[in-house]
Amino acid sequence: MNENAISLKEVELQRTHFQLGPIQLEVPKGYVTAIVGPNGSGKSSTFKLILDLIKPQKGVIKLLGKNISEDEDWQTKSRVGFLPELFSPHDNRLKASAKTEFVKKWYPEWDVNRYQELLRLFEVDDGIKLGKMSKGMRRKYEFALILSHHPELLLLDEPSSGLDPLAWRTMIDVLHRYMEPGDRTILMASHIVEEVKRLADYIVFMIHGRVLGVYEKDELFGSWHAFYVHGEQVNRKRVQAMPGQCGIEDTGGGMLRVITRMAPDAEDWCGQEHITITHRQALQLDDILAILVEQERTRLRA
Amino acid sequence: MWLPIHINEQSAEPLYYQIEVQLRALIVSGQLEEGTLLPSIRELAQLLKCSVITVRRVYQDLENEGLLRTKQGTGTYVARIEQNAMDRYRLDAVTEALEAAVEAGKLVQCTREELTKLFREVLDRKFGG
Repeated sequence: MNENAISLKEVELQRTHFQLGPIQLEVPKGYVTAIVGPNGSGKSSTFKLILDLIKPQKGVIKLLGKNISEDEDWQTKSRVGFLPELFSPHDNRLKASAKTEFVKKWYPEWDVNRYQELLRLFEVDDGIKLGKMSKGMRRKYEFALILSHHPELLLLDEPSSGLDPLAWRTMIDVLHRYMEPGDRTILMASHIVEEVKRLADYIVFMIHGRVLGVYEKDELFGSWHAFYVHGEQVNRKRVQAMPGQCGIEDTGGGMLRVITRMAPDAEDWCGQEHITITHRQALQLDDILAILVEQERTRLRA
Repeated sequence: MWLPIHINEQSAEPLYYQIEVQLRALIVSGQLEEGTLLPSIRELAQLLKCSVITVRRVYQDLENEGLLRTKQGTGTYVARIEQNAMDRYRLDAVTEALEAAVEAGKLVQCTREELTKLFREVLDRKFGG
């Protein structure tokens, strides 16, 4: 149960304008893990590190139980499907079907029926040149391509980028079905709140090249709440002591909106302090991210 | 398979608990009959937009209570429930709802008498007394 599909230990990558890490990250097998973070936080670099496309200065990376960049690691990689955020333009003059012919040779498990089924599902014609495809069409084609060898692990960098709402729904559905057998794993990076909500089991926050934590999705949303409190005993100073307090806002009329990352504890605390919670609100993923980014900024300034 | 389970994201109750209470109610009320195959864990997670961790917990809890049984490789089914157990569960759900109602009353400083009166009124209205 606690097997990891991917693990990064003390991984550091230094670039002139950017430092990634040290990163500790474990991606559990059998689950969908979503990396959430602002632009430039190191999500795409993390994918490249996992696939050994760039080398870290320090640290150990394991992929499907094997240390990467060992001999024969192409065999491990043939069990992975990777959808990059951007596609290189070098194959623009190729017909999609020609790219497929090239790619499938590398995958012993290639399943032509699965490939055809996915093309039909996404309404993609692989007789078109890659450079002539719209952004969404190209994405759908690449999506079909990386799923057709029955990978054990999918790495998806901003999977829905460029997809229309219908194609997006098809993608979500395909991914749910992909996960059905129970022993498969997805690691994805996404900005799309709804996508993370629909797909993820675990959420990883990544900000400025640091992993801020791995959370079980429902626990996360159950913990980050805004409480509306008012009354004679209520003032800013007092509610500062609320467990997990992450921000206080005056909403007028003596009402304070207090954000907590420990909703159950905060609720008990309010009970003990005889503070009545008039209203509560579960925070959305983007609200939580905004607070974490702000906290991280403050931390860096200090 | 669709299940009439509604999630209240703004609720203080944890998600697993909300799902568990409703699924238990569907089973003990007989709306889900003995032998019914439930959705797979991933399917129900998709339906309710929650994580598989939550659904697995619900299925496990209800299996421990003897309401569900899992056949390896085929799925999770509604188990056979004894009539007296069924009655007990049936009343449990109602007791819980009444407790929640009393809590709501206490929150706005209702007295015992006021609540009793309200309860009678609701009974009269619902049963046409």
